[in-house]
Order: sequence, then structure tokens, then C-alpha cells
Amino acid sequence: MNPLVIAAVWVVLGVTASAVLRRRTARLVTFVPLAGAGLTLLASRSLAPVEPLGGLGAISGLDRAGQGLLVAAAISMALVIALHPSIDVSAARTIGVVGASVTLAMASGDPLLTALALTVAVGALALRWIGQAPGRATLAAGRIAGSGTAALIAASPFLPLSGFTTGARPVVVGGLLVAGVAALLAVYPLGGWAAGVLSVLRPLDVAPWLVLLVPTVLLLAERIPEGVLGDGVPVYEHILLVVGLGSAVWGGFWAVRGPARTRYGRIFMTDIALSIAAVGGTRTSPAVTGALIIVLCHLTLAPILLRPAEAGLMWPRRVAWALLSGVPPSPSFWGRFLLLEALAAGNVDSTIAAVVAMTGIFIATVMACSTRPARVPPAGWRARAPEAGAWLLVAAGIAIGLAPLSVSRFVFGS
Amino acid sequence: MGVSAPLLSAVGVIASVVAMMVDGRRAVSIAVVVLAAGMTPTAATFGGAPGVAVLAACAVAAVVFAWAGFVGGRRLPWVAGLDPTIPAFAPPDRLFGPRSVRAFSAAVAVPIASWVSFNIPVGQITTAVQGLLFPTAYAWTCGIIRLLLARTVEDLAVGVAMVSLSTATAWLLRSGSDSLPGAVIACAVTPVAALVAGWLAGRSTRRRPVEAEA
Repeated sequence: MNPLVIAAVWVVLGVTASAVLRRRTARLVTFVPLAGAGLTLLASRSLAPVEPLGGLGAISGLDRAGQGLLVAAAISMALVIALHPSIDVSAARTIGVVGASVTLAMASGDPLLTALALTVAVGALALRWIGQAPGRATLAAGRIAGSGTAALIAASPFLPLSGFTTGARPVVVGGLLVAGVAALLAVYPLGGWAAGVLSVLRPLDVAPWLVLLVPTVLLLAERIPEGVLGDGVPVYEHILLVVGLGSAVWGGFWAVRGPARTRYGRIFMTDIALSIAAVGGTRTSPAVTGALIIVLCHLTLAPILLRPAEAGLMWPRRVAWALLSGVPPSPSFWGRFLLLEALAAGNVDSTIAAVVAMTGIFIATVMACSTRPARVPPAGWRARAPEAGAWLLVAAGIAIGLAPLSVSRFVFGS
Repeated sequence: MGVSAPLLSAVGVIASVVAMMVDGRRAVSIAVVVLAAGMTPTAATFGGAPGVAVLAACAVAAVVFAWAGFVGGRRLPWVAGLDPTIPAFAPPDRLFGPRSVRAFSAAVAVPIASWVSFNIPVGQITTAVQGLLFPTAYAWTCGIIRLLLARTVEDLAVGVAMVSLSTATAWLLRSGSDSLPGAVIACAVTPVAALVAGWLAGRSTRRRPVEAEA
């Protein structure tokens, strides 16, 4: 199946769900990402990895890693909706548009189409967020993330760089790509908007960015091959390494110091910053595998940890925090271990910064585990369903921790 | 007849400054029409008649989409929504207002665009163009600044439209087989931005029904 058809289904289902569903049937929004996941399994396959750095080209198909990531992200999005205590059906529109956009971005080998797809995703998110909570933080999402996609759009006329591997052109292209990736992944100094958004919006509104957009951009950033950028390689790699590690240390600090309701978001941002520092900055094999395991870990645990603490699920949440702590054999341990291995191959300063960030995450997860949330008395089998779902996700998290490479190979094909 | 780079640059700068300063409910439409007109000499030089047609079609589409969105937004039942022209937050009292900051930033963008124009070639190795990128680079820089300084959704839409149009013109400068399709695709975001801004403007001009207030 052509990715364009899959994207159209995402949009149509999302818009229809937001127009048709009412409060009683709001949980049917779950079927929007589920349908996207099902169709993505049938997507036409591209045999070569899709690298968004070539000339203008058609959208032909998804490669194995992209397909696996999109399916996992869509299932995770569906579980976020299913486990959330209350659902605003108008969120389905945003979920549909973002799902369609990431499908096209992942399937496109053309930098312009990829950048435009990401622009549409960011536009939909920004409109939703500003509409939900007008303020400095949500407007900053439109400003900064929008500028990031604009930088990616601006890089497109200068690509491919064949014949221009020296001089100012590859340096400027490298700078534009870094700005785009950093803004979309909310890496400091372009990441303040995400911290603001996490504190003012409901988790369900942040979920499309966190579950659908960020993993896609991380995988796209990994696909920018260093051989193509020429003189832009030091700009791209060194800046991503420095801002990624700086952002990780800062994120780890605020995961400990910040309010409890933003703790999961801060830890997620820290892990993503570590991943982009290792993947973009070191270019070694363990970095990519580690980043994929980290992404898989978050896609598994996000549905539990994005659910407000006051809404119950005390024990599944505690186990989920433990799986995120980095203590072996949790999946986060293997992911961070591989990232650390990749960073250690570079220099000792990177390793120290990464260890500091990981220590921050560990302390934050221990604090989250030890916090005693209000106990919500169960009320019948309908209240038990989210708990059963959460335990299933915890079991999946444990399985990833026991066989990380096998699970990663099953989902991403590598 | 040779290309007059100063003329292309002057027209592009005037159009970009107008797009940078325009405000209000029709800001996106005005910015797109003016910027398309300002980029037309550059498009005509490198893309010929098809290049001009792309920009003209984009401007017409933006105006039509903005109008259609406005009418559609007005006709639907009242719902609490977002007014694209109301600032999302109240800024502190300052000596200079937002338009003054935009005007200052537009001046700062001149040396940036000049450096880009003279140092970065566009296109393939055999047909690369250098020194004529100034209007495009200036419009793009102004678009980014408009995005970064945005206070309203309308500002964001204008910024996106400026970036989209300037990138489309840059694609026309590539002068390869994919330059025209690339310009068309790059322009595609402009009517969407106009539609969204028009839709929100139309929806917010409707008044809350009296019975709903009661």
C-alpha cells in the first residue's frame, strides 16, 4: 500500500472522529492510530534505507526500520488514548494530521517533502496547543519548532551536495539541518518550548509530539549520512554532540528538581537528548541500536506514565518507573549502556556528561517510585481494564529488557 | 539582456519588508500577494513564464483559500475558538513595540542575506548560480524572524507563507529538471497557511449566541 493512501486514511479518520464522536463514544478515537498501525503493516516496502537528502523524488515506500517505528508509535499512541482517564475527541484531528505527516516524512527520500510533512505536523500541534492553553509556552512551540521546520525547508534547495563538499554551502546546510533537528527534538537551546508545553498542557495533548513526532525525527536525523555533508560534517556532528549532552545534563537536573507532573516528560527529553548526541555525534553502531531500544522503551511505558498519577494505576506506574530507571535488566539500562559505549568511543568528557545525565534520571525515577499517590478505589471491571492493560505493557517492558536486541530486531529489522 | 541584480534585490527587499510589517485579519493574503510580486522578477529571470505562473498561482490560491476559509468559518455554528489576531500572551511594557522590533530585525537581515547570496551557490555543480540569491535569502530570513517574533497565530501563518514562497523561488534558481516541481511543492504550504488563518478569523468573527450566554 502506498504511504500516501495510509496518510490519507490517518487524516480522514482523525477528522471524522473529531466531528462524529461524542463524550460517550470518545474512546473510539483509539481506532484512529490503530488503523494507521494496521495499514502501515501493509505499506509498500523500500529495499534501501530512505535517506531524506537526495533530489526531488516521489514517495515510493517505507523501509523496514521506518515501518517498524511507525507501527510501534501508532500502537503506543492508541494505548495512550485507551489508558487516559478522559478524552477530548477534538484531539483526534491533531492525532490524524500528525500521524499522516510522520508517515509521509518517513517514506520520503526528498528533503523538501520531508520538511513540508514535518511543517504540517508542527503546525497542527501548535494550533492545537495554542487553542488549548494560549500563552507564552504554547506560542513558543509554534515559533521554535516552526522555525526548525523552516530551516529544514531552507536546506532543501541546496541538496544534494554532490560536487559541493567544501566551502560555505555544506557548512550552511549542516547548520540548517542541526537547527531543524534540535528544534523538533526540543534540544537546548531550542528546547525550552517543550518544557513549557509539558507543564501547561494535558498529557494527551502532548502525546502526539512525544510518541509520533520525536521518534520519527530521531530516526530521520540518524539517516543523514556523514559522507554526504562534506565540510558540514563537523558542524552537524559536533553541534549535535555538544547540545545533546548539554541538554541531557540540564534535563536530568530538572527531572530531579522539577514538579512531579512534568517528570516523565523531562526524563523523555533527557533520553532523547542523549540519543541524538550519540547518534548524531558519534556515528557508531551501538549508538543507533541504543537509541532504538530507548525509543522502544519509551513507546512501551509512555501510555502508563502519561496517565495522570491521580487517576490510579499505582503499582504498574511504580514498576514502569523502575523499568525507566536504568537498573539492569530494565530496557532503559541496555539502551543507555549502548549509548554510553558509543559516547565513550569518542572522548571522556562526553562519557562524564552522559553519566551525570543518567544519574539525574536514576534519582528522578527513584523519587517518582517513592512518591505515594492517592489510592483510587477500583470500581468494577471497567476500572480494572486500564490496570490490566498497564500490566500487559509492563510485561512487554520486562520482555524488552530481557531480550533487547531480539525485540529491536523484530520491530526495526536491525 | 543581462540580469540586473540590484533591481531584483530592491524589489525583493521592498516586498519582504511589506510582508514583514503587515498585520490584521488579511495579513496572510496581503503578505503572499506582495511577496509573490516581489519575487516575480527573480522567478521570471530563472524560471521563465512557468516560474512566474507558479508564484502567481500560489498568490491567487492563497487569496481564494483565505476567503473560502473565512466564509466557511463564519457559516458554521458558533464554537469557542482561537482568534488568530489576538496575542497569545500579554507582553510587558517596553519602549519599542512588536512592529519596531520587526523593522529593526528586517534591517539586521540585510547583511545576513547578503552574505548568503555571495557565498552560497544554488543548483548543481555545472549550473550553479551565485550572487543572485539575495531577494530569496532576505525573504526567508525575514520569514524566520517573523516566526520567531510571532505573538499571534496570524504572525505564525505569515512567517510560514514567507518561508514557503522564498524557498519556492530558491528552487526556481536551481535551474535543473526538478526546479519547477520543487517550486510547486514548496509553494503548497502557503495556501494551507492562508486557509487556516482565514478559517480561524472567520470563526472568531461570529458572535456568541445570546441564549448560549444565558
